[in-house]
Amino acid sequence: MDFYLGLAQIVGVHTLLGLSAYCVLLTGQVSLAQAGFFAIGAYVAAMLTVLAGWHILPAIAAASFVAGVVACAVGFPALRVKGLMLVVATLAFGEAVRLFFFNFDYQVARGEVKIGPAGGEGFRQIRFFPEHGWSTLDVLLFIWLFVALVMAALWWMDRSRAGAVLRAVGEDEVAAQSAGINVTAVKVAAMTVGGLIAGLGGGIFAHYTAHIEHAQFGVALATFAIAYPILGGLSSVFGTLIAVIFVQGFLIEGLRFLGDWRNLLFGGLILLAMNVRPRGLIDAATIAGIKRLRIRNREPGNARTQGAE
Amino acid sequence: MSHLDVIDTLQSIADGVLFGATYSLLGIGFTLVFGVMHKINLSYAAASIGAAYASLIVLSVVKAPAIFIFLLAGLSGGIIGSVIYIVCFRFIPQANPLATLMSTVGALLLIDEIIVHATVGIPVPYPALFSDVIVNAGPFTLRGDLMFMFALGCLSMLLLLGLLYRTKLGIATRAVSQQPAAAQLCGISIPRVNGLTFVITGVVGGIAGAMIGAAIGVLSPLLSLPLTTKGLIVTVIGGLGSIPGAIIAGLLVGGFENLFQYFRGVTERDLYVMLLLFAFLVFRPGGIFSPAAGRD
Repeated sequence: MDFYLGLAQIVGVHTLLGLSAYCVLLTGQVSLAQAGFFAIGAYVAAMLTVLAGWHILPAIAAASFVAGVVACAVGFPALRVKGLMLVVATLAFGEAVRLFFFNFDYQVARGEVKIGPAGGEGFRQIRFFPEHGWSTLDVLLFIWLFVALVMAALWWMDRSRAGAVLRAVGEDEVAAQSAGINVTAVKVAAMTVGGLIAGLGGGIFAHYTAHIEHAQFGVALATFAIAYPILGGLSSVFGTLIAVIFVQGFLIEGLRFLGDWRNLLFGGLILLAMNVRPRGLIDAATIAGIKRLRIRNREPGNARTQGAE
Repeated sequence: MSHLDVIDTLQSIADGVLFGATYSLLGIGFTLVFGVMHKINLSYAAASIGAAYASLIVLSVVKAPAIFIFLLAGLSGGIIGSVIYIVCFRFIPQANPLATLMSTVGALLLIDEIIVHATVGIPVPYPALFSDVIVNAGPFTLRGDLMFMFALGCLSMLLLLGLLYRTKLGIATRAVSQQPAAAQLCGISIPRVNGLTFVITGVVGGIAGAMIGAAIGVLSPLLSLPLTTKGLIVTVIGGLGSIPGAIIAGLLVGGFENLFQYFRGVTERDLYVMLLLFAFLVFRPGGIFSPAAGRD
């Protein structure tokens, strides 16, 4: 049972990471910096709870805020370039953050032992959950509370004017600009929101894994971050969730019985998925299909009420 | 700074520039595909390493002098390139840049895993040529294997430039990269040119992979992600779609990287390469040679 709870925790944190990339992808930008924001969130939150003795809630709020500020600051210069240039700029930023933490040594003597991030060895004394007696289930509920909050907020945003503006910029920048949308402001805002969400996810990640090191936040994680929304489709926030469940639950854990062959299938299945469904697992046509189904189910009821009138 | 420090500094820059020829070749591969299709092929560095592995396998079956390993790597690179074009690009709508980006990531993971699976995760030694030759030029020493690698890199770049500027296929390739619609109206088959571009870049990548193996001495799938990053950085610093730019940027990045490895150690080395990239993005976003009609 604990195995499934642990899996659900991983799915929750990766969903936050995927959603942070989803925000940026909506504006048509491919950002490989999400792992960098995630790393900043993880280190900030862990340092606040371990070194400063904060409670986890203000710590992850502060982590999210710091990552958001960094994302905003990166967004301004980085968004002068687009397409491949942006991919490489954000990739370089993410790697620079990782290399920073690789060389980041800030240890404080606490009694006999020194605690704090220790360069390449990583940061290993993050024990907020066990120290405060949180069970696995508590942690799981804590994670999914935030996942639900973020998903609800993004879902609501998607249906509001803000979502339409983001998608307009993503579909056709020139047309959006001539419709009076400040394209730079929209892109930087999307980047900032992405940074906030990634920082939040990173803060939670640091506390449930209890040990963070630079290698966890490399190019591979950045690629996963954009892989979730692209695989799931950009038409709905639920696409990202389904892609995370597909990758973490099915491709990584579900195929474990295949042993070594699982890793081979992993890349192959991503290739196949993109060839079969280039617009993601849940694309606009699927959503239209679901809506049509719902309307058809509702129609007889409507007819009856009309008949009564 | 004493006299010896100056010599050591210059020596490390020279070594880096010689190794930078591999980065130039990788940058050319990224830039050519980008020029023709306006797409990124993220699996390129992994495919290059894969081609180097394939050349080792062929060489272990067929007895041949070690120099043929570069030829074999180029050939297998071409084959892998065409396979990647078919599985990652041919059947995916061109208008959707995200889908092909993701499919090349899938191919990258797949190639890495095939290598891990075939070698049981153990790095394999790669034969180096002329590694016993050391040229002394005044106070400097130049490693024979690096010099051979550099010469081979220059030769393949010259051949590639000849192919692009002196043959019909080269004219077609450049036409498609400048004006796809007009090229199609002139009777150039775009899927064919795209596919052949992947074969050409695959050959270049295979040679680069063999050069990297020969310079480092071992091959490991762990090389593919850092090389992807370096190749993309070289592409951007050189200017997207510019081949001379990629060549110069590759040598520049190689020298710069080795210089900071000498001063700051291997853990901080790449941090300074990123700073170089940021400096270019801020002060010269088009790269060293930005193409005249710059599109993203």
